[in-house]
Amino acid sequence: MIDLNMTLVAQILNFLILVALLRAFCYKPVVRMLKARQDRIAESLQKADDDAAEADRLLADYKQKLAEANKKAEAIVSAAKKQADQEHEAKIQETNAQIAQMKKEAAEQIANDRARAVEQLKGEVVALSLAAAGKIIAKNIDKDDNEQLIDEFVSQLDKNKIGDLPC
Amino acid sequence: MHEIGVREVVQFAGFTFNWETLCMTWLTMAIVLLVAFLATRNLKMVPTGWQNVVEIIVTSLEAQIESTMGKRGLFLAPFIVSLFMFLLVSNWLGLFPTLASPTNDLNTTLGLALLVIVMVHTLGLYLKGGHYIKHFFQPTPVFVIINAIEEVAKPITLSFRLFGNILAGEILIIILLKLMPIWMPIPSVIWLAFSIFIGGVQAFIFTMLSMAYLANAVGGADEEAE
Repeated sequence: MIDLNMTLVAQILNFLILVALLRAFCYKPVVRMLKARQDRIAESLQKADDDAAEADRLLADYKQKLAEANKKAEAIVSAAKKQADQEHEAKIQETNAQIAQMKKEAAEQIANDRARAVEQLKGEVVALSLAAAGKIIAKNIDKDDNEQLIDEFVSQLDKNKIGDLPC
Repeated sequence: MHEIGVREVVQFAGFTFNWETLCMTWLTMAIVLLVAFLATRNLKMVPTGWQNVVEIIVTSLEAQIESTMGKRGLFLAPFIVSLFMFLLVSNWLGLFPTLASPTNDLNTTLGLALLVIVMVHTLGLYLKGGHYIKHFFQPTPVFVIINAIEEVAKPITLSFRLFGNILAGEILIIILLKLMPIWMPIPSVIWLAFSIFIGGVQAFIFTMLSMAYLANAVGGADEEAE
C-alpha cells in the first residue's frame, strides 16, 4: 500500500507542468485583466479630476469675463446717460434763452406799438379837437389865437398820462 | 472495483510507475485545466458572472499572500491556487465509481509535500541567506535538534494526513458498498457526503499549511532587504 517508486517524481513533474500551464493560460490573463482595469480606473479618475479642474478654471474665466463685460456695459450706459443729461441741459438752456429772447422781442414790439398808437392818437385827438373847436368858435378866433390854443392843448396833453385819455 | 492496497504498475525505462495514479493525475490535470480555462476565457473589462468569482479568488489570495509574505511572495500565488484546485479535484475524483483519487497514493502526496518543503528551504536560503540558517539555532544552538525534527516532520505530516484521509475515505466507500445490501444506500450516501466534505477540508488544509510554511521562509524577506 505504501510503496514509493518513480511515480513520486512523475507526480512532481506532472504538478509542475500543471502549475506552468495554469499560470500561463489562466492566472496571467486574470491578473493582466485586473491590472488593466486598475489602470483604466486610475486613468478615468485622473481624467475626471483634470476635467473638473478644467471646468473650474473655465468657470472662473467666464465669471471674470462676465464681470468685465458688466462693468464695461455699465460704463457705457452711464456715459450715454451723462451725455444725454448734458444734451438735455443744453437744450433746456437754449430753449430758455430763446424764450427770454422772444419775451424781450415781444415786449419791445408791444412798447413800439404802444408808442406808435399814442403818437397816432395824439394827432387824431388834436385834429378832432381842432375840428370841434373850430366849428364851435369859428368866427371869434383868428389864426394866431388858434395856434396858441393848439399849443396849450398839446402841452396839457403831454402833462397828462396817456392811459387816462378816453380813447 | 479495485482491490485494496494492490496497485497496477508499469515498467518504463527501468523505473516502476503506478499506472492508475498517473492516469488519474492526468485526468485531474485535464479537469483542472478545463475548469480554469472555462472560468477565465472571455475575460471582460466589465466583469460578469464567473469572472467575478475568479477575480475574488485571485484578489483575496493575493491579498493574503501579500499580508503574510509581502510583495515578494506574489509569484507563489499561481502555485498555491493550482495546488488547491489540483488537490480538490483529486480528492473528489475518487468519489466517482471506477475512478480513484491520485491523492490516495503516497507518491502523489509525498511528492507534493517534498516539493513544498524543497521550495520552502530553497526560497528561504535564496531570499534570506545566512539568516535563514541561523534561525534553526535559535533561541539556543541546542534547539537545532528540535528544529531538525520539525523540518523532517513537516513533509511527513503534510503528506500522510492527506494520503490517510483520502485513502480511508475510498476504502470505507468500497467496504460500505460491499457490506450493505443494494436496497440500503443510506450509510454509503452519508459517507459519500462526508467524503466530499473531507476532500475539501484536506485540500484546504494542505494548501494553507503549504502557505504557512512558505510564508515562514519568504515572509520577512522584505524587511531584510531594506
